[in-house]
Amino acid sequence: MVALAALGTAFVALPVVALLIRAPWAHAVAALSGQGAWTALRLSLQVSLAATFLSVLLGSPIAWVLARGRFRGRNVLRAVVILPIVLPPVVGGIALLAALGRSGVVGRWLHDALGIQLPFTTAGAVVAATFVSIPLFVIAAESGLRSLDPRLEDAASAAGASRRYVFRRITLPMLAPQLLAGAVLAWARALGEFGATITFAGNLAGRTQTLPLAVYQTRQTDPGAAVVISLLLVALSLVVLALLRDRLWTR
Amino acid sequence: MRRVLVVPITITIAALCAACSGSAAPANGGDGAQELTVFAASSLTAAFTQIGKDFQTAHPGTTVTFNFGPSDGLASQIESEGTADVFASASGTWMDDVAAKTGVSDRVDFAENELIVITPNDNPANIGSIGDLANDGVALVLAAPGVPVGDYARQTLANAGVVQRAEANVVSNEEDDASVVAKIAGGEADAAIVYASDVTQAVAATVRSVTIPSAVNVVAIYPIAVVDGAAATSTARSFLRDVAQGPGQATLRTFGFLPPPP
Repeated sequence: MVALAALGTAFVALPVVALLIRAPWAHAVAALSGQGAWTALRLSLQVSLAATFLSVLLGSPIAWVLARGRFRGRNVLRAVVILPIVLPPVVGGIALLAALGRSGVVGRWLHDALGIQLPFTTAGAVVAATFVSIPLFVIAAESGLRSLDPRLEDAASAAGASRRYVFRRITLPMLAPQLLAGAVLAWARALGEFGATITFAGNLAGRTQTLPLAVYQTRQTDPGAAVVISLLLVALSLVVLALLRDRLWTR
Repeated sequence: MRRVLVVPITITIAALCAACSGSAAPANGGDGAQELTVFAASSLTAAFTQIGKDFQTAHPGTTVTFNFGPSDGLASQIESEGTADVFASASGTWMDDVAAKTGVSDRVDFAENELIVITPNDNPANIGSIGDLANDGVALVLAAPGVPVGDYARQTLANAGVVQRAEANVVSNEEDDASVVAKIAGGEADAAIVYASDVTQAVAATVRSVTIPSAVNVVAIYPIAVVDGAAATSTARSFLRDVAQGPGQATLRTFGFLPPPP
């Protein structure tokens, strides 16, 4: 079992180690400054954090309904909400265009009546990232809610606590680790988003070109710099995962 | 999704090959090889798919597999993985690159392709000429710099004297010409510059074409070659002849390509 685990670990770690080996370290600084990598990094942080915020905002009520609701079609609702995980991201992008594009089902109306256009805007990149990351937050939050012992809440209520007090002092603190884990997963998914973003929001430096898109475009002209920018993405993810390790994986 | 995977897969394979040096080529053998892998610029997708079908009919037992993509991306895949028998590029530059790093033989120019401006059918930004791409508020989509059609588009905009103002109108740098056409066919942007051959029958009904005067137009020249280390060299050569001199030429013509320079 240990040997198999080692093999599995090597499979996952080897590509990243190979990146480190292949990176043109001598030109790392030039590679990072010359290709608009910092612009892409800043945009990636903005877009992924906004998408995480929206995932928590929109995903929390969904998770609540899925965990506590008693109604027909709950499994259908769950399947619909989780669908973006199994959709190839490029299909997600095409679907978003069909819905929210300039001539999309809803997008046409947004454009004509309100003058709002999502494709080719930073808001569009946030929409694409949110679309793919919501399910991760919903899954984590729902499983957290389900593992919560309702008797604790009932006991507090029976002792005279208001619903709001129970939620704030009992439910939320016990859920916190799961919610945080869900938010981090959603953030990581949003940070790495590529297919839905380039399909729905396009690729323009400073507006929709997040780090993964910058890696892809840089690779066309300077493969070495693309490796360096990829490592920037790896480093960023590792730092966040390291900072959160105690909260995520221990109780 | 495929594109997302290209980088890690390329890296993994590169590392594996480095580790076991002298990577094992597919054991097809040279004579009467049954499988031919052709890496071709995405602008060739429709024409080469047809040529491939005709070639298989003419050579029973042979399977032609295509990998279509941006020429620059294909070049780096060939250089790192070396799985192509034939490479057909949309620019001499990327063929030069593969020739220098991997090596090629039998190289020949086989087609030319002009650029045109396309707009959605309802032409929301009233584009009547290439100069109109510089008008305020035009949402222009181009292929990214480094992608041949993206570089050619900027060149023709420069020839028309509007490259700076047109560049300011760019809302997206797409990964290849197929993605550019999709953005216009879907009505997401106002105008784009692509190859004449990109307006295939499939999209002709959804886009409107505006020709670019030959005085400022840029003509892409397409080279094709057999990649060194090809598993199916003799089949590769006969496919190349088919494209450059044989029935492939007529097929290319019907898909909007011009004959190669004399």
